[in-house]
Amino acid sequence: MEIPRPDPERESHAAAVSPADITLRPLSIDDVDDFMVWATDANVTRFCTWEPYKSRDEAVSFITNVAAPHPWFRAICLGDRPIGAVSVTRNSGGDRCRAGEMGYVLAHGHWGKGIATAAVKMAAAAVFRERPELERVEALVDVENVASLRVLEKAGFTREGTLRKYVVLKGKSRDMVMFSLLSTDLLPLRHQ
Amino acid sequence: MEPIDSERITVRPFEPADADDYFSWASDDRVVRNLRRTPLTARDQALATIIDVCIPHPWRRSICVDGRSVGFVSVNPGSGDHRCRADISYALATDFWGRGVATAAVKLAVARVFGDLGEVLRLQAFVDVGNRASQRVLEKAGFQREGMLRKYTYLKGELKDLYLYSLLSADTGTNSN
Repeated sequence: MEIPRPDPERESHAAAVSPADITLRPLSIDDVDDFMVWATDANVTRFCTWEPYKSRDEAVSFITNVAAPHPWFRAICLGDRPIGAVSVTRNSGGDRCRAGEMGYVLAHGHWGKGIATAAVKMAAAAVFRERPELERVEALVDVENVASLRVLEKAGFTREGTLRKYVVLKGKSRDMVMFSLLSTDLLPLRHQ
Repeated sequence: MEPIDSERITVRPFEPADADDYFSWASDDRVVRNLRRTPLTARDQALATIIDVCIPHPWRRSICVDGRSVGFVSVNPGSGDHRCRADISYALATDFWGRGVATAAVKLAVARVFGDLGEVLRLQAFVDVGNRASQRVLEKAGFQREGMLRKYTYLKGELKDLYLYSLLSADTGTNSN
């Protein structure tokens, strides 16, 4: 019987290998200047629920009161300098066991290099490893956020559908695309 | 089973006097099988649910045939950034399955709810992929299937794949912002 050849896509999921020198780690107060680089940029916040940050105090408050106690929040680092962030929520109530919603931001100067894709793959693999009860990671992306739609497709998420007028973003109702990655999607393919 | 003439089907707020009728369908396991709630086991639970839950609810109505409660349709709006959408759910006594009652009731609800809940632009319904009858109700009421959400939620201990359907106020021609 022929021994199955390794599938590079699955290998990279399992080993969390990144194409660049990308790592994930918690954000600290010492990162505030790097945080301000992306958090003050309207290109970055265009499809976020929040507006660009205007002061270091706001950034320190976010890092201390939101990022630090968050169920799963990581800085995306290039050579250990944060250039963005990725997070996965913990859904409450009846959904507690099964799903988390992923979000991510990346400094504009680092777009188009596959970094967000690598970070999303690493984050998904890590959160499935750390939370054995987690069945599903989902992400909602504005239909007009073409770059982010491509990140999730390249990261191996399944595009499940377009949800019309799903949320209000900055005062306007928006169509959002739902993506998901299941813990079982990360299992290596088995040959018969 | 014969269809019920649509003139006999109405949708109205619940009243305490509905308690006995409410108990007869809400205690039936088949009726609540695809809902989070469990069957009622005692009659006094019916009156308590009507008073404590149904009447204060943002939008819950009794489905009635000849004025008597045979089920419910419920619309639950979101808040904050989710205020533009609302979840619709419904259930019906088994004697009235397959007779056009749920479809008529959902159509009546759709005709009223956008006017009643002014911020809601989107009604959405989650349906088990195996619940073909309920999918048909939504399709006949004008909902569009947007996709399948894999392992979306636990329901009574089982992990479910669900279809998501939606209907916009814009789809109905209702003039609301």
